[in-house]
Amino acid sequence: MKNWGKSMNSSLNNGSGLIFMKVGIHANESIEDIIKRKQDEFAAAGKIFWGYGGNTCHPTKHVQPFAREYAESGNNVQLVMHKMVSKHFTETLAKEYSDDGLEWQPIPKGINVKGSRYGMVIGGINEEEFDLNLRSLIVGVGPSRGKIGADYIKGQNDKGVFVYQDSENEPEEKEVKHIDLVAPLLPPYAVFLR
Amino acid sequence: MSREFDLRSAVNAVSDVVANRPPPLREFDQIYMKVADMVIQAHFISDRFKDKDVVFIGDGDAIGLSVMHLTKQGTFNEGPRSITVLDFDERIVNSINRFAEKYDFADSMKAQLYNVIEPLPNGLQGEFDAFYSNPPWGQSNGGESVMIFLERGIEATAKKSEGAIVIADDQTLPWTQEVLLACQKHASSYGYIVSEMLPELHLYHLDDNPNLRSCTCVFRSVEFEKSVPVSKPLDMTRIENFYGRNNPLKVKYVRENETLNYGKAYDNSYHYEKLGEEYE
Repeated sequence: MKNWGKSMNSSLNNGSGLIFMKVGIHANESIEDIIKRKQDEFAAAGKIFWGYGGNTCHPTKHVQPFAREYAESGNNVQLVMHKMVSKHFTETLAKEYSDDGLEWQPIPKGINVKGSRYGMVIGGINEEEFDLNLRSLIVGVGPSRGKIGADYIKGQNDKGVFVYQDSENEPEEKEVKHIDLVAPLLPPYAVFLR
Repeated sequence: MSREFDLRSAVNAVSDVVANRPPPLREFDQIYMKVADMVIQAHFISDRFKDKDVVFIGDGDAIGLSVMHLTKQGTFNEGPRSITVLDFDERIVNSINRFAEKYDFADSMKAQLYNVIEPLPNGLQGEFDAFYSNPPWGQSNGGESVMIFLERGIEATAKKSEGAIVIADDQTLPWTQEVLLACQKHASSYGYIVSEMLPELHLYHLDDNPNLRSCTCVFRSVEFEKSVPVSKPLDMTRIENFYGRNNPLKVKYVRENETLNYGKAYDNSYHYEKLGEEYE
């Protein structure tokens, strides 16, 4: 029997906050290579910037208010990533970052983040494989708050901020995404890049 | 209402306006209305506010410019006498003034820099016949951000006036109905009734809910003995959650960086690769 969600990932419980994201990986870079590269960034800077784009995980509109609320109640938010091979990358390196889009600072030495307007701030990255039922996710913030994850992750929309709902009666319907990488968010959770 | 107009002419005119709009800044809820809905909205407003002096409290969508452009070029038979846009984004203000000058209707359309935290600029209080606003929709503050824009609209108009407010309206999302109700109650406290409502009408370029619609709620003053409220600086306790949960208003104005390429591709977004020797 196939396991879903929590049973494969013990850190996801009812009410857990998570950010789901599809991530494009170079065909010639393995997961191990990515983890090694990001671990080196963590060793050098004490944090990692994971670059991304799109407004469904806007730093100040979505990620920061959601993650802060979890932090205030003593909980963390996890970034869970579904890997896919991509051919579209921009090589421009970000030079500065900002928590609020107003005050900018140089990207810390050791961090390399390319071709992205925004960056998740994470405190490590782990290879963790499990299947996540998007029907167990509820949009946690923004104008679609309360919507089922499977109805939200559609078409061009490939990421979002969610609350995991591990009901005793797990939904009959399943819309599963395989998760390959998991990372804990660190304050300030998400930043603007330029 | 004059219902017939040339659709191709209208869409092409709104296309002129859209090409003139600065790119939106999501952090300030600049989420632009889709083009077909802009045409419908411009037609409705040009008819409702015909022969009136209208003030727009913010106008990222560029409905004011659409209304005046379509009226001045004759696609719509009727329209407002004048439109004044107040917006905190200098890119929007300058783009409106440049466009109005280019199409030769700067005598009846102008824009000026203004943030709703401030009292209305000198000379504008009680000066208009109608107001229009599509404000931040107040999901995280019970509609407070809508009320602030509504109040500025009421302050800018004379005793006998009308106003159109565009806000989220989706019966499957309770917060939109709560804000709508709160907004109507607030308007009634100023002596305004809802004279007309176009429900669940417009769609937007909104990544995180592309199906979320807004309505147009038209208010009309009925208590003419009430004096126009005096415009004062905003009580700053009201700006918490202005742009969403834990997202207060922090920026007074968005300032425009000057460029030689208004309406063109940004210089740093492309470069040329010249023909090589093999073609010479």
